[in-house]
Amino acid sequence: MTPDTALPVAIEARGVGKVFGEGELASRVLHPTDLQVRRGEVLVIMGPSGSGKTTLLSILGLVLTPTEGEVLVGGWSAATASADQLAALRRDRMGFVFQQFNLLPSLSALDNAAVPLLLAGVPKAERTARALRALELVDMGDKRAARPRLLSGGQQQRVAIARALVNDAPVLLCDEPTASLDGTTGAAILATLRRLAHDGNRAIVIVTHDERVLSIADRLVRVVDGNVHAGNEQSAVVEAAS
Amino acid sequence: MNATSTPAPAVTPASPRLFGLASSMLFDAPFKSLGTLVGVTISVFLMAQQYSLLNGILGRVTSFVNSSGVDIWIVSPATESTDATDTVPVSRIGAAAGTRGVAWAAPVVQGIGTVTRPDGVRENVKVLGVEAPRYAGLPRSLAPGTTPDSLRGSGRLLLNWNDRKTFASAEPGDRIEIDGQASVVAGFFQGMDPHSPFYYVYTNIDDARSLTRFPQDRATYIAIGLEAGASAREVQARLAARIPDVLVKTRDELRDMEERYFLVRTPVGVLFGMGTLVAAIIGAAIVAVTLYSTAIDRARDYGTLKAIGARQRDILQLLLIQAWIFCGAGYVLGMCGFLLVRFHFPELSMVVPPKLVFGVAAAALASCTVASLAAVLRVIRLDPAIVFRA
Repeated sequence: MTPDTALPVAIEARGVGKVFGEGELASRVLHPTDLQVRRGEVLVIMGPSGSGKTTLLSILGLVLTPTEGEVLVGGWSAATASADQLAALRRDRMGFVFQQFNLLPSLSALDNAAVPLLLAGVPKAERTARALRALELVDMGDKRAARPRLLSGGQQQRVAIARALVNDAPVLLCDEPTASLDGTTGAAILATLRRLAHDGNRAIVIVTHDERVLSIADRLVRVVDGNVHAGNEQSAVVEAAS
Repeated sequence: MNATSTPAPAVTPASPRLFGLASSMLFDAPFKSLGTLVGVTISVFLMAQQYSLLNGILGRVTSFVNSSGVDIWIVSPATESTDATDTVPVSRIGAAAGTRGVAWAAPVVQGIGTVTRPDGVRENVKVLGVEAPRYAGLPRSLAPGTTPDSLRGSGRLLLNWNDRKTFASAEPGDRIEIDGQASVVAGFFQGMDPHSPFYYVYTNIDDARSLTRFPQDRATYIAIGLEAGASAREVQARLAARIPDVLVKTRDELRDMEERYFLVRTPVGVLFGMGTLVAAIIGAAIVAVTLYSTAIDRARDYGTLKAIGARQRDILQLLLIQAWIFCGAGYVLGMCGFLLVRFHFPELSMVVPPKLVFGVAAAALASCTVASLAAVLRVIRLDPAIVFRA
């Protein structure tokens, strides 16, 4: 599986690396890496615990500043963006799906899905209509009034996906989206993600340990000891950018 | 910044309205929220109660000045309060009465005597002498059946209605002995409840001089009444210019002087001030601890909000709204509780001036806002990357 270069690049890492700490305590967790993810593509990042894959996802998601390199979202460099601009990029051009779902427990499914729109200052009527559409996209329209504690893990993850979709973001970043789900529910979530990538023309990045996720991967990268190895499962190691 | 293919992200100019989100988050930890609310309520109640009790005491301290209907008081320059004063020459009355804007000027004398209670106990009494026919300085509120003219004739006095029981439920015609001289109770005055170790009695001015051996050519005060429409400030300035060897005070100024003297010379102000401050601090501490602990408990929620696009100012808004919700609800409940207590215990003399209503609201708002700072700092520094940790 190779990326279709005719598709536009949704998010790109150029030479991004990360070192935590300073001086003798400095610890490199991610070597300088180049990575492109195109719209309509599902990129899966795998690797053992502590390999640096979550660091890579955090950098791609603009919640962690790389020590070197830059991230471009839709061709726009976030390297010198202000904190407010980074927040706006995350809010408007990215969607996040977390392992623990991270829904706000006091809000209904509909209100949870609408949070990014609330933060964007979208009027209530429009917010409600768009959040409902997002819930229907993940087959959760009939559960819109339910609080998270009344939903199963799979249902909560669907609401989280709806929240990630509600701003029509071109990039979805998923952190272990199936780790807290049983096999059947996990498979259903993966089918949803693949549909969203291919039919919705979104770039989806999934960090996972779960081999099942490979079934929807258009491309796989493995991260080992902070080195990113690109290609499919049989691919040779690709030199990380220096 | 490079702008290779898409425009820079649009930063929402105004803050989104997050009241609904902030208030709903309070219901995630209902017991903590309830505890915070109770803390703020108790704090508001205590602040209002302490402050109103102090106001009640200050009102009693100044009741002699406030209840008399005198517009301007002329006193000795060596005056710190009505309990710490000297005398002025009565010859200044003519000059005062002839000043533009002055309707009348009359002497009031004040001396200390010893009254013998019916049970034989001897106590100090403040004897206030007022001059017929105006009786300026006499409290405006007299008991039914008592008139200023009740003091006409010698050997008569007006007793405070509140002291009636101490004097064996005295009735008009009963006799009271001051420094060995018997006087007849001619009636009672009301609306004046001095916070003082002295009893207060009013007599005509000659009797007061006689009872307290007060010099004939001196008075403690010269009471001034203003002509209709005259400005107290302007008349005060004219009097001060015309009679430079005295102190001329408007009623409000003498009351303020009286309050200051009381607050400085007694520990009451410090005690109640400390009580009010401690109440505010307790409220702030409870809100601070709860909001901070909630912020720690909910770090993942705040991290999620940051990750999905909340700006620092949005988070700040969320936390401040939560603090202000506690403040508003606690204020309403605390004040209702306070007013209920005040209604059921009128003898506590809890006074509620407008500045108490607004002052306690401001103090509650300030303490809740300050209390939210620790939580704000905790959440503002929160790394949104925590949401990617299981």
